[in-house]
Amino acid sequence: MRPIIEVRNLSKRYCFDKRVMANRNLREAWVTALKSPVERLSGRQAVRDTEFWALRDISFEVETGEVLGIIGSNGAGKSTLLKILSRITKPTTGGVDMYGRSNSLLEIGTGFHPDLTGRENVYLNAAIIGMKRAEIKSKFDEIVAFAGVGQFLDIPIKYYSTGMHLRLAFAVVAHLEPDILILDEVMAVGDAAFQKKCLAKMKEVSREGGTVLFVSHDLMSVTQLCGRALLIESGRLLDMGDAGSVVSNYLLKMSGVEAN
Amino acid sequence: MMINEPAATGVAHLPEELAVAANATRVHRVLPDEPVVKIRPESSSVVSNMREVWAHRELLYFLIWRDLKVRYKQTILGVAWVILQPLLMALVFAVFMGRLARVPSDGVPYAVFAYAGLLPWLFFSNSVASGSHSLVANNYVITKVYFPRLILPIAVVGVRLVDFVIAFSVLIGLMLYYNVHVTPSVLLLPMFMAEITLLALGISVWFSALNARYRDVGAVLPVLLQLWMFTSPIIYPMSIVPQGWRFLYGLNPVSGIVEGFRACLFGSQFDWLSIAISAVVTLLAFLYFVFDFCRKQDSLVDII
Repeated sequence: MRPIIEVRNLSKRYCFDKRVMANRNLREAWVTALKSPVERLSGRQAVRDTEFWALRDISFEVETGEVLGIIGSNGAGKSTLLKILSRITKPTTGGVDMYGRSNSLLEIGTGFHPDLTGRENVYLNAAIIGMKRAEIKSKFDEIVAFAGVGQFLDIPIKYYSTGMHLRLAFAVVAHLEPDILILDEVMAVGDAAFQKKCLAKMKEVSREGGTVLFVSHDLMSVTQLCGRALLIESGRLLDMGDAGSVVSNYLLKMSGVEAN
Repeated sequence: MMINEPAATGVAHLPEELAVAANATRVHRVLPDEPVVKIRPESSSVVSNMREVWAHRELLYFLIWRDLKVRYKQTILGVAWVILQPLLMALVFAVFMGRLARVPSDGVPYAVFAYAGLLPWLFFSNSVASGSHSLVANNYVITKVYFPRLILPIAVVGVRLVDFVIAFSVLIGLMLYYNVHVTPSVLLLPMFMAEITLLALGISVWFSALNARYRDVGAVLPVLLQLWMFTSPIIYPMSIVPQGWRFLYGLNPVSGIVEGFRACLFGSQFDWLSIAISAVVTLLAFLYFVFDFCRKQDSLVDII
């Protein structure tokens, strides 16, 4: 069977070039333009002062219905990978083909506006994360019931507690029906009950034939939930395969680092 | 229990209950032949950008609705501001320019003349001022979710268009009060409105990208808009500009549009030359700005 996601030779470079980074205001842009007219005119870039490869030559495939875990230390490039897969940022080289509609959740409650009521925010947030209006309408009651904020539905969410805020945001997410669900470490913010709901939702998506990609530092849930896992370190794909063995390799390597 | 198909389903290591469920009820979805989403380093074409904006038109509607809703929640006078801004300005100009400085107004009472000029101008300048801020103001959203970035400045112009319609009702009142008769020319009004909308869109889109890179835009733009207003026939008619300067003056697309806008309302002679110049300049500017935005938008998220 053909994979639903094909990632080929994906790399992402960030430039902390003095010129790019320092040109936050026009004056400096003029100054650098005057200092390096030759590069400007010839369209050639000066040698980068600092370039940083957040990802280098990543290739993998994801099968339909698979739950794929992505693990690695902080700063390894996991979030960059998700950002590229979510189309938020472009890769520097390589490419991705996806054979399905994807929804990403890099954060819970993106676009919530504090002055709008719970009801209004459900509509807005759902539209932002990619739901159609008819879809939102038909699921609205379900979303509200799921969130359990009934009596507070018509007050601005700036008066909500953190828990209510989170429940409402997640309720919207839980009613998405994507072919591919991309999750960053979103569940870390919630309590145990919330995390349980998140896990249940991922299982549900996968059960219905959807594909899930998720980044987590919770190695337990990765082994439990995922068929396969990727290990990313310093922007490179170090290990890929059966989730249990990728996680144990990772732990082994970590303890080696500590021993040194 | 059938849990021995790791290669086919990749679920061999799920907890037992889940694996059972997965094997029992797994829906085998049929994949399309062509990728639904292709992610490549190259920026996508203007045409595919337009197609995406169209596909996201519901989000556009929600963003316009959000901005209107939020605005009216945070203000006491709410919708009244939309009318008060042009009305108060027209009043001040009527006293100082019309009464004291005796600026001509092409045979129409100066207050109506000024209001009719301020209406399209304020739509334009408010659109540009808030449109140029739209990406920066929503940076917490665009770094977390993907949708065509163009939607944000477009939504701002949409909001201002709603404002314009509300403020227009006052113009009708003023024209009735001052007994200004409407002629068939008024039917051309939507054409000039479309033109200034296009101009406002193009400039908002372009400045929103520039603002993401250089925050100076926020400081420069108010000054620029102020100067632009006084070099356009808003509070004075184009007829006081010497003939020899008319062509140069007409290169500012706002002048042809605002003059045309007023000619529609007051039934005066159309200056087709300046209207044609402004149409060409507007169209070229719009195309350039949108094209340039599409080229630059990919790097925006990394630097905003």
